Amino acid sequence: MNDEPPVQTQPPGLAPPADFTTFMRKYQDMVFSTSARLVRNDAQAEDISQEVFIKAHEHFTMLATSPTAGGWLKTVATNLSLNHLQRYRNRWKFFSEFTSSSDEDAPAVDFAAPDTFFEGVDSEERRAWVEDALSKLPDHQRVPLVLYHFEDIPYDEIARRLGVSLAKVKTDILRARAALAKILSRGGASLEAMAS
Amino acid sequence: MNPEDPDKLERSIHRVLRNLPDRKAPAGLEARVLAEIGRRSLLPWWRKSFAHWPSAVRAGFFVGSGLAAAALVAGLFVLSQSTGAHEVASGISSARAWIVISRDLFAAAGAKARSFLAAIPTLWLYGGAAMIALCYAAVAAAGAATYRALSPVRQAA
Repeated sequence: MNDEPPVQTQPPGLAPPADFTTFMRKYQDMVFSTSARLVRNDAQAEDISQEVFIKAHEHFTMLATSPTAGGWLKTVATNLSLNHLQRYRNRWKFFSEFTSSSDEDAPAVDFAAPDTFFEGVDSEERRAWVEDALSKLPDHQRVPLVLYHFEDIPYDEIARRLGVSLAKVKTDILRARAALAKILSRGGASLEAMAS
Repeated sequence: MNPEDPDKLERSIHRVLRNLPDRKAPAGLEARVLAEIGRRSLLPWWRKSFAHWPSAVRAGFFVGSGLAAAALVAGLFVLSQSTGAHEVASGISSARAWIVISRDLFAAAGAKARSFLAAIPTLWLYGGAAMIALCYAAVAAAGAATYRALSPVRQAA
């Protein structure tokens, strides 16, 4: 897979970052978040982020003047993370993709009623709570969910990139949303309060 | 929230996730990246990928490869036209004799193995095959059970 999307050059008038360090400081949180949400391991996400910025350095002449540098970095981070997951997926596929009866027979999720639980909770605590809930999802649900909701990748493209059927992607994302809502509800949160 | 309303759930989850701020990158990431860039920049060109080779070296590599291929083809052609070609052919034929001997040895060993297997009762063979299959299934089941029991994802979920 080619991990590096084409770089668009900048139209005149947009101010480029002064140097590579400034460029990196501007985007490192976004790159790390993208990778960490996909691979769910901070050390691996840091390694992937490092690789992303080394590729960015090789293309810095173009990226420094590109208005789409953020998108380029995000795409490379996503591709490298998926490649990383794919390697482990192939290794553990036999064991990890046994269908669990608890997955198949899961009862309908009963979410907490809307309330004002998060009114007194600061945004950092809320962030940690949702990130923690996200990390509790199994890979086959979390990865398509992240690609769909964070990266805005459509269902069919997710199916193509993960090498699974469209129906499986839709089912996994549907279950991931329900499971995420369930995990958050267990913690006492309501989606309405969090989404507001 | 009504669990039967997937559209509403999708919208709510989308808002929750999109409202998440980015996670803070590790403090050491910047230093790591700069150190790695510095380390790679110090590598000699021949230890880098082909794309990083100097243009003159890349051009020389292409020219050299073309010349080597042409020399190989020309050499074979000259050899096939020379008076010594028959000697080379006979040499190859004598090398083939070893292949024939090896094939005969394998055929003889195969015949012995077949006669040995024919002497074993069929029931024993089926029993052995079933035992091997059973052991394989048991190892696979034990591996899967261990993975499912120890997987941090499943424990967390």
